[in-house]
Amino acid sequence: MSDAAPDPFGVGLPLDTQLSRPRPGSVLLAVDGEIDTLTAARLQAGLDEAVEAARADGASVVADLSGVTFLASSGLAVLIGAARRLAELGGRLHLVAASRAVTRPLQVTGADALFDIHDDVAAALATAPFPDVAPPPGEVGR
Amino acid sequence: MSDAETLDGMSTVEVRTSATAALIPTIRAVASDLAARADFDLDAISDLRMAVDEACATLVDAADPTSVLQCRFLVRPERIRVHAEVEAAKADTVLSTDTFGWRVLQTLADDVEVLHEAGVDGRRATVGIRLDKSAGDVPR
Repeated sequence: MSDAAPDPFGVGLPLDTQLSRPRPGSVLLAVDGEIDTLTAARLQAGLDEAVEAARADGASVVADLSGVTFLASSGLAVLIGAARRLAELGGRLHLVAASRAVTRPLQVTGADALFDIHDDVAAALATAPFPDVAPPPGEVGR
Repeated sequence: MSDAETLDGMSTVEVRTSATAALIPTIRAVASDLAARADFDLDAISDLRMAVDEACATLVDAADPTSVLQCRFLVRPERIRVHAEVEAAKADTVLSTDTFGWRVLQTLADDVEVLHEAGVDGRRATVGIRLDKSAGDVPR
């Protein structure tokens, strides 16, 4: 059947990411859905965008995973990669992780040590008020 | 998989899908449901769901495109054994166990084992993973 509808499962479950600037100095990436081998690339794209935005003006990055209902090792690897990139820039990746679906994988793999983990977005923004990412060279000490 | 493992009169569930990553969410949902109804604690349910996802993702990567992914859950008192298997992409396909995903799988499951079976009599070679997960914390 050449005119058949596309395979409804072909792209995996939905994973939405939304980038915002809730306050100066913070880039917030809200993530909703299940993060697995199929959807990890969308998380990667969202985090890349967030890190770039943060790098441009020295903001901190908060990934709000409150809406994440599954987190596989492929997703953990993406989070760890983003944390490493931020660390190279002198910053930390802040995660909002309240549900077991996110906290358990972080805990059981020991990956939780790589992030600053908060219970809600307000707490993450409150404890990350200062730029986490060093400004580009040449702008230091203006 | 021997018949003795399936036909022992205890609770056994088998799920067969196309060997595609898009159907793994369905399989891990079954794993989660079985663990919940077997009174696994919440951490163990989460661990089993993630372990099954990991095992299936590893196998789908090694599978022939036309293969079935066969996932059998043997629900026993206080533990679940999972036996997942695909037809290998090549006769000499070997699952790599030096990956981050495999390390995570070893952490999540109480015991995990790779199974390779050579093709005989025109049947394709298969690769599989067997994992055991107990209902609650066990001393490692």
